[in-house]
Amino acid sequence: MTRTEAPTLTYAFAVCRGGDVTAPADPLAEPPGLGGLPGLGTGAPVRTVAAGPLTAVVQDVPAAGFDEEALRSRLSDGAELERCARAHHAVITAASALAPAVPLPLATVYLDDGRVREALGEREASLLAALDRIAGRVEWGVKVYAPTGPRPAPEASPGDGPVSGRAYLNRVRTRQYGREQRHTLALRAAERVDTVVRGLAVAARRLRPHGVEVTGRHRTHVLNAAYLLDLGRERELRAALVSLRRDETDVQIELSGPWAPYSFADGGITDTAAAP
Amino acid sequence: MSTPVPATPARAAPSRVDIDRDSVGRDLAALVLTVVELLRQLMERQAIRRIDAGGLSDDQVERIGTTLMLLDQRMTELCDQHGLTPDDLNLDLGPLGTLLPRD
Repeated sequence: MTRTEAPTLTYAFAVCRGGDVTAPADPLAEPPGLGGLPGLGTGAPVRTVAAGPLTAVVQDVPAAGFDEEALRSRLSDGAELERCARAHHAVITAASALAPAVPLPLATVYLDDGRVREALGEREASLLAALDRIAGRVEWGVKVYAPTGPRPAPEASPGDGPVSGRAYLNRVRTRQYGREQRHTLALRAAERVDTVVRGLAVAARRLRPHGVEVTGRHRTHVLNAAYLLDLGRERELRAALVSLRRDETDVQIELSGPWAPYSFADGGITDTAAAP
Repeated sequence: MSTPVPATPARAAPSRVDIDRDSVGRDLAALVLTVVELLRQLMERQAIRRIDAGGLSDDQVERIGTTLMLLDQRMTELCDQHGLTPDDLNLDLGPLGTLLPRD
């Protein structure tokens, strides 16, 4: 073995139903839209691996850069994580445009194509169920933010002279009350938004709200939800949000999408319906 | 493990320690003040709950209020002395939100 070809691993992006992406007009061509993708930029083409009724969208990656240890250091570097996530997302988006695709978690790496087939075989039933669930549907994200209140006025500035203890307590009480009030109103608004959008969706999931590092200090994240909607309900959704934004003036409502159904595929790990 | 230490950095070491001492001192002050600020805010809440529940004389309320006000002022002074802002004392606890309310 004097060949110097570096050992490779198989990085899996998404799973489709067999035939959906592998039956282009020219049977020899890689699926249009997939073959030309840079994927993770390893130089290898994005290709497919058939496994029974399923097809995985994969790419060869160098073992040296993607074994467990290399991946861990790669993903703990913010800039590199972003690059990987964007590359991962680009392939999933392209695959979803061709056929319903279950997005796999970031950094799903197998030793070789054989192991990909094995993994798909083991989870065949749940992957097929997930594909049924997401077919003809897309994910939308709705985020609700409550603006944080004004900084307490520069109270008791030295020139004011001694303020009475009672006056101080009243000021503290007013501030606390205002804060609780704002918080309650924001949470109620978030519940109303969730109820309305849930009414349009076939499934909904509440995700963990973001912390300060994402939202910035001037607002609090009170709702982070994902909804699975039938294709073609976008107009209804947008109209609903317009009217929600008009009614719920205490909060900021953000819509994002359409996304590949990241929150509703569970990587095909479970086959229970995502909606409660 | 037993790599011989190169001789050159010997002189550089003290200045490096000095820089670290500054930042360690500041971080420690921030940590201590964070805990104090948390307790101070809890005391304020508890005081207001007690007063709202009734049963305290006007004089007692006034004394509690004055004490808390002085504590608040002292806290502001300490933060100023250490070059800290209220945001520096507010730890981000990830999924739990922040340690102190963000108004």
